[in-house]
Amino acid sequence: MRTRSQSSFSFSCSLFTLLLVTIATLVHTSSAGKSASSTGDSVLVILEPAKKAEYSIFLNGLEDKGYTVTIRAPKEEQPLLIEAGLPNFSHVVLLASDTKNFAKDISPQSLVQLLSLGTNLVLTLGLKQNLLTSLAPEFSLLLPPPATPLVSYFPERSDPPSIIPIDVSSQSIPNDTFSVLSSQVTGKVWFSGTAFALNSNPLLFPILHAPLESFAADLSDASGRVSDALADASEKGGEGLWAGSSLSVVAGFQTLIGGGTGHGADAGLGEDNQARAVWVGGSSLFSDEFAKKKVVEKVQQERGMKVVENPSGNTQAASEIAGWAFQERGVLRIDEVTHHKVNQTEPLEMYTNNDEIVYTIRISSFNPSTRKWEPYSGLKDLQLEFTMLDPHVRIALPPVSGKSGVYSTTFRAPDRHGVFKFVISYKRKGFTHLIHTLSIPVVPPRHDGYPRFLSAAWPYYAGAISTSVGFLVFCAIYIAGEAKEEKEKRSKKE
Amino acid sequence: MAPKSSSSFTFTKPSSQSASSSLSALLSAYTTQTTPRLKFIDAFLVFLLSSGVLQFVYCVLVTNFPFNAFLAGFSSTVGQFVLTASLRQQVNPENKVEFKEVSHERAFADFVLGSIVLHFFVYNFLG
Amino acid sequence: MSTAYPLPTNISPTTVANTASLLRIVAFGLISGAAIASRLFAVINFESIIHEFDPWFNYRATRVLAAKGFYEFWNWFDPTAWYPLGRVVGGTVYPGLMATSGVIYNFLHYFNLPVDIRNICVLLAPGFSALTAWATYMFTAEMKDPSAGLLAAAFIGIVPGYISRSVAGSYDNEAIAIFLLMFTFYLWIKALKLGSALFGTLAAVFYFYMVAAWGGYAFITNMIPVHALVLLLMGRFSGRLYVAYCSWYAIGTLSSMQVPFVGFQPVRTSEHMGALGVFGLLQIVAFASLVRSHVSSKQFQNLLAISVVTMGVLGAGAFVVMTYKGWIAPWTGRFYSLWDTGYAKKYIPIIASVSEHQPTAWPSFFMDLQLLIFLFPAGVIMCFRELRDEHVFVIIYAVVASYFAGVMVRLMLTLTPVVCVSAAVALSTLLDTYVEAKEPDVPEERMEANGSSAPDGKKTKKAGGAVGSQASTTAVAAASSAISDFVSATRSSASTPRQKGIWGADTRLVILLNAIGMLVFFVFHCTWVTSNAYSSPSVVLASTNPDGSQHIIDDYREAYYWLRMNTPQDAVVMSWWDYGYQIAGMADRVTLVDNNTWNNTHIATVGKAMSSPEEVAYPILRKHDVDYVLVIFGGLLGYSGDDINKFLWMVRIAQGVWPDEIQEPNYFTPQGEYRVDDRASEAMKTSLMYKMSYYRFSELYGGGNAVDRVRNQQIPKVGPTLDYLEEAFTTENWIVRIYKVRKEDTLGRDLKTANAFAQGKKKKRSKPVSRRRAIV
Repeated sequence: MRTRSQSSFSFSCSLFTLLLVTIATLVHTSSAGKSASSTGDSVLVILEPAKKAEYSIFLNGLEDKGYTVTIRAPKEEQPLLIEAGLPNFSHVVLLASDTKNFAKDISPQSLVQLLSLGTNLVLTLGLKQNLLTSLAPEFSLLLPPPATPLVSYFPERSDPPSIIPIDVSSQSIPNDTFSVLSSQVTGKVWFSGTAFALNSNPLLFPILHAPLESFAADLSDASGRVSDALADASEKGGEGLWAGSSLSVVAGFQTLIGGGTGHGADAGLGEDNQARAVWVGGSSLFSDEFAKKKVVEKVQQERGMKVVENPSGNTQAASEIAGWAFQERGVLRIDEVTHHKVNQTEPLEMYTNNDEIVYTIRISSFNPSTRKWEPYSGLKDLQLEFTMLDPHVRIALPPVSGKSGVYSTTFRAPDRHGVFKFVISYKRKGFTHLIHTLSIPVVPPRHDGYPRFLSAAWPYYAGAISTSVGFLVFCAIYIAGEAKEEKEKRSKKE
Repeated sequence: MAPKSSSSFTFTKPSSQSASSSLSALLSAYTTQTTPRLKFIDAFLVFLLSSGVLQFVYCVLVTNFPFNAFLAGFSSTVGQFVLTASLRQQVNPENKVEFKEVSHERAFADFVLGSIVLHFFVYNFLG
Repeated sequence: MSTAYPLPTNISPTTVANTASLLRIVAFGLISGAAIASRLFAVINFESIIHEFDPWFNYRATRVLAAKGFYEFWNWFDPTAWYPLGRVVGGTVYPGLMATSGVIYNFLHYFNLPVDIRNICVLLAPGFSALTAWATYMFTAEMKDPSAGLLAAAFIGIVPGYISRSVAGSYDNEAIAIFLLMFTFYLWIKALKLGSALFGTLAAVFYFYMVAAWGGYAFITNMIPVHALVLLLMGRFSGRLYVAYCSWYAIGTLSSMQVPFVGFQPVRTSEHMGALGVFGLLQIVAFASLVRSHVSSKQFQNLLAISVVTMGVLGAGAFVVMTYKGWIAPWTGRFYSLWDTGYAKKYIPIIASVSEHQPTAWPSFFMDLQLLIFLFPAGVIMCFRELRDEHVFVIIYAVVASYFAGVMVRLMLTLTPVVCVSAAVALSTLLDTYVEAKEPDVPEERMEANGSSAPDGKKTKKAGGAVGSQASTTAVAAASSAISDFVSATRSSASTPRQKGIWGADTRLVILLNAIGMLVFFVFHCTWVTSNAYSSPSVVLASTNPDGSQHIIDDYREAYYWLRMNTPQDAVVMSWWDYGYQIAGMADRVTLVDNNTWNNTHIATVGKAMSSPEEVAYPILRKHDVDYVLVIFGGLLGYSGDDINKFLWMVRIAQGVWPDEIQEPNYFTPQGEYRVDDRASEAMKTSLMYKMSYYRFSELYGGGNAVDRVRNQQIPKVGPTLDYLEEAFTTENWIVRIYKVRKEDTLGRDLKTANAFAQGKKKKRSKPVSRRRAIV
């Protein structure tokens, strides 16, 4: 009988192989490990070459991490994003946020296509309308009306209100979400640009919130007034004013596997990749200017207020945001899945009703500093489902102590035959989605697999046997009788 | 099961007088008219009958759980019963007219063959 | 003694007997040859291929059996069928057919004859048709005489009603079942005649084989008890009946329970209760007769009265208890539909949707049986004239089978043997009467006058025993009921003292030539019907080119081959259940539903997906892991057996399970018409089936009128669009269209929105808000 063990419908059989495929075929630059990314080294930055110097710290930082950076002007035709259906770069950063018109091949559609081909994106919004304005809603982002930057008058400072320091450490991050900005981002992060609201989409999550006191405003309005356009927009959108920490200035988006129509060997190129996109409200977050700009803070001390100048956290934040987008951190993969019956070691092609099944999975995560995959035992809420149409078993899959990266559980197969699937579907914000399905038939016991010679049935056995014995005895006597009769007959005749 | 009714004759109330007299007539006729060979066959039939009744009672009162075992056991007695009854019909001298083409030896061979087939199926079904 | 023509007198009776048996053997050989040869049209016209639908499953199962052995086959769980439920094949098939081929296969291979299992499967049905002819011969010979037997064998060998189910490649249960049916009946008759437990046992063994081979075994299960019961009621109880019936029933029932699919049904379901009842009745009657043989009649009556009362009380009590405990299952739906032809349509649309479960149209009686249908009543009347036990059987069989054949097309198959038998009896009687050389002892001058025609008469006589042989190879002709009346008149009058008979050879010749002419026409009819109507594999279609040459339309295999070569091994293909077995057999892909319609809900799920709009169907498809959807579309070619024509059944079956979501009237126009053109109803136009069928259909006609040639309706110029599926493959003549189910969007949008975006259509909610100056 044919197993369907190789199958999995939203096939990510193991991310390992997929990544190998990606690296080997999609990326023409050399092997993994050169850069800190788990998916490839080549980065395309779409930026007016004239402005290159403004982002030198960020770009040099990328090259230090091992990336090959290519700059392309927004209106230039070459190099193409996608050539012959294959993406030319592993990562694309769009820093030309204020450009109105782009070259033909840079369109909202092609950017979405890039994502489904596995290319990671960093997209920076500008104050004017451009292609990103129409792209944003596809990611469930809600943008304020054009030319309404985020404004905050707090804390009091000499800078214009649209240049805002954002405190990273005060950001609250839910437990199950990967914190993109680590504790290494010490200083406040300078931001200038548009904030956006997030619609409810499980794939989208905020990386950096706008400060509590900030709001979107049209700076050409009289100060202290909110423009009608904004008021209208917020009414229409139904999310209140464009203000406060519900707005985000940086948001991450983890794409689903899929996008194509196939599965397994049938999947098109890149269709099994998960890509990441980061939306940033303004490209200046990455700029040298903000990286060098000091944050002036008044620190309350025993003897009154003291003005302290701290370095900004922009360099580190920019590096970490790009690092998350380029799949350096928060990257998980399934190395191996095994299953077998309790007290056995070899996987079976099919299980029988009520078998005790052991399911084991090995998970590793990518370490950007060593550039290696390392076993990862940090998942606390992994679950295994045993599904046929509906989950028949849903059970926690805890890490095995002593074996790093190994998660295992034991459960009893349902008393129901059919083609079941082991389903792992672990989707947490900021982490790579772990999706794995493995089909396995659960069959009824073989016809000799039922208990035999039951004690309750002994009268029947006895009955059958006594009949047989009786039959034999009967035959014997009958034949004997016949012989006797014949003798008698013969003797009579004689 | 036809012969079962014979046991119930004694318990039936209506016309018990005539019934008992008929019954005794029947018994006496039986003892006088039947050849020893047929009596021997009848003895075997009674044995099978009691075995079948016992199994049936066990099935109804206790359990019919391994239903296939019950069916196998029960049908073995029933099947053997009818085969033996067939044999009885065939060797009964009174029926000679009916079974012109079946000699006694032939009848016995048929009986043995049928029983072997029957027992083959019974044991196949029992476990 | 006067004769119509001179008879050779110098031949010894042994020579006559030997020649007759030699001729019989030759004739029988020729009949077998004709039976096999006429079934090979399909192979010659097309190729050695398995036909239709069910045979594909049988073929696939046989391959498993041949490859893995019987033991594994018994335990076979097929995870690729009824995905994801799977099918316990070992416990849900009648394994007789596969086991037969498996045995033949192993037998040939044991002798180092490396015959392909496919060829065994293709040729099994023709081979068994020869055996059927033999069984029919034996059966009819029991009824009348060997010459009638030969005639019957010839009829069954070439009659279209049987050929329709047994052409080469029609590898279905019926292929061997008719042989088993006839042979079991023969053994039963034989057992009854002789009163032999041996034949009863043999009948039981073949009954077991029949049970293992075909669900229609219930026909035997009820025919034999009915026969026994009728004999009882006619006062024909005898020791022979007791011996035959009891040995058959006891062993047959026990053995039938060995077949896993049948299981405990013989003691649980109502269909089998009749046989049990008759069995019990026979025991009582036998005991009663035993008692009667020992006591006087007066006493016996006494005893009888008492025992009847007791038995009645006991029996009624037992029945109440059994029903109360639910041990006896009620009749099944298929059974009800035999009595009430409207029942299935109302309650079980799945059964009603099968074309072979439809009531028979009257022309098909003529088509399948031709002149036999006229000879049939004559033969039944012949049976009444003698009315031995076996004749009673034929009469009952004739009545029952005629009724069933009228109710369901497929049961024509069970009618065919009895028609052949009685027609053969009738015709053989006719020929006997007219070939018989004896003349009534009357005018001698007449005889002399006819002396000249002697050679002819002799010739006919030679063929005499071999009427069958002529019948077999050329085959046979005719008599209307008028003739049969005439025949019976002559026969009956022959027994009266007033001598009546046929004088002279000319009268004989007229009748005989007529009869032979009719038989010749019958042969031509059979050949024509077989080659034209019943030899199409339905997997491969044929049409005729304008120049008269044959054009093969091979779209099905093209599509299945595409699936096999271009999709992953474990791809799940959804289609209407008709094509399930073929997809599994030819494309080797996982199917959701197939021709083994055991799970109504699962089929209804597919029906719902097909009849719902895309966005409703999509979650269903995803839930069942469907990768491809396959539809049959005949609109381009005018192939009427396509899915749009079956669509209403899908709707009905889906409605049976989800009456709130799917309603049949929604798929009709307000005028109650079933339309696919621009007047089609909204539900129709948005349904997945409609969209898949007509997707890009009008583009094929450029700007011209796109006409569906099955329904003769014009398809709107702007065709349906698909968001959740995409076209993967369409065959040459558009008969099979395969669609691929798209995966979820990368960005988690619904596919309709994603599609609109990819096509550059602006999203409504991304409308830029116009900027207004604030009024200060």
